[in-house]
Amino acid sequence: MSSLLLKTLTKKEEIDRIIRDTIDEVLVLRFGRCTDTVCLQHDDILAKSVTDVSKFAKVALVDVDSEDVQVYVKYFDITWFPSTVFFFNAHHLKLDSGTADHTKWVGAFHIKQDFIDVVEAIYRGAMKGKMIVQCPVPPERIPKYQLLYKDV
Amino acid sequence: MKKPSKKSEIEYCKVCRLHHDHGSRHKYFPRHKYLLSTFLDRFRTKIADVRFFLKNPSVLRPQEQSQNRVWCVFCDEDIVELGSSFACSKAINHFASSDHLGNIKQFLSKNGPAMDCIDDFRITEANVAKWEKKCQSLGNEDASSFKGSCEQLSGTSNDIHNKLAFKTMDKIENVPAHHINVLPLQYNTNEYQISHSELPGVAHYGSYLNMDASHLPLRTDPPTNLPGNGFGKHSIPFRSKDYPSNQEEENKQIKGSYSSPVMTSISSSHSSDACGNVHSGAPPPWLDANDGNSSNVQLNQSDMSSFQAKIPGKTRKLNPNRVGAAWAERRKIEMEMEKRGHAMNSKVDADWLPNFGRVWQSGTRKESRKEFEKEKRKLIKTESISTESEPVEIQPYISKRARRESGENGSG
Repeated sequence: MSSLLLKTLTKKEEIDRIIRDTIDEVLVLRFGRCTDTVCLQHDDILAKSVTDVSKFAKVALVDVDSEDVQVYVKYFDITWFPSTVFFFNAHHLKLDSGTADHTKWVGAFHIKQDFIDVVEAIYRGAMKGKMIVQCPVPPERIPKYQLLYKDV
Repeated sequence: MKKPSKKSEIEYCKVCRLHHDHGSRHKYFPRHKYLLSTFLDRFRTKIADVRFFLKNPSVLRPQEQSQNRVWCVFCDEDIVELGSSFACSKAINHFASSDHLGNIKQFLSKNGPAMDCIDDFRITEANVAKWEKKCQSLGNEDASSFKGSCEQLSGTSNDIHNKLAFKTMDKIENVPAHHINVLPLQYNTNEYQISHSELPGVAHYGSYLNMDASHLPLRTDPPTNLPGNGFGKHSIPFRSKDYPSNQEEENKQIKGSYSSPVMTSISSSHSSDACGNVHSGAPPPWLDANDGNSSNVQLNQSDMSSFQAKIPGKTRKLNPNRVGAAWAERRKIEMEMEKRGHAMNSKVDADWLPNFGRVWQSGTRKESRKEFEKEKRKLIKTESISTESEPVEIQPYISKRARRESGENGSG
């Protein structure tokens, strides 16, 4: 259902184009599989919130099973699915949520408002020139995971 | 458990200038304390002025008596120096009086602060005694000359229009007695009057300022015999240099009076009635001048609006320090050119990577990109090497002893 509302990208060119064409708006790229349950929950939250953040954010899904996209999977060091990466004017923005990985949001959001708050915080930080922002979500709703160095 | 505060009667606070029902607590309120300090400071300056005359007594002239007055805030009365010969004499006597002291104590007990500042607002008897001695000595020295001037001045009124008469005291001696009761000054003087004192006043004024002579008030008796008027033979009606020659003043006729300055009206012969004015709803002259430019301005505005409409998103100016601002501006221009159909020279490189800070890299984002590209190249090389080499046959491991034994068996 969410795939109908949100654009799914399968090629590097499409990802490049959407990154380059999104100007002065936050670009939310979800890396995951549409068959995974956590990804489905995550996609549901994204689909419901996309209209609320439409004025300052754009949301797109990236299928990690596609071969063309593996470059980005490696480049972005994606090891957990779903992983959400944020961009603003083709620049990557980091999110300090208290976890080991500040470069992305790992896992699904619990409620719509958490996602909207995160996107808003990123937008505000980006407009002020900040490359890393504090996560407004309370720690109990932040998914916990263990980050292994190069899958060791 | 707090007791409800008792409501006392409504009182008026002289310091704060408001009615309140705080009762005795009011004097401890911070606002009251602040206003009280300013209130008392103001009175302190007044007392300082009076103390100056206490140390340096000076003669008070009658014409200045009405100006020399002090309001005592503690006693709520105005101290006017009428009939006193020395400056601030009544004020000094008042501030030294016991009534004033009593009022000070009452005021301070009601409004605070502490009583230690009483002496700031009163004059001690010792100082008053010193002052009186000084006055006596001063009075003895100037007794003769002072009395003479007092007699002369006593016959005149306090009218300020007679100031000119007092300035020319030397001439008074030569003037007959009936001229001392002078008419009030009818015309105020100004520079123009002095500079043009030889001109035939009325007619020349009319031509200078484009006014109709018939509007001017006529004076039948030229006041040349006025002792105070030492500005020439001709009396010229009052005319301010900056008096605007408005169309509003077209039909104004102002009669000259003894107390107010005589004004003249200006006819609007130089300005055409066809233009209209503010009351008739005509456009202002500065807009008429820009008739040619206004249409151009409008065109430019329409161009701007259409241009702004083309650009999607917000029209307000974005923060130039936002992330990727320079890149965004360049990209907007590129997109505009693409829309207009210009051939794009730069195609997106297949190896293009966005600005990304990797997880296990430290340093700048450019370094992380370079490192990734290095890893990519290495990966490609290893893959190519592995495909190019012959397939390796995997054999089980044979130990050295077993190899030696098999070799001995083979030889033996």
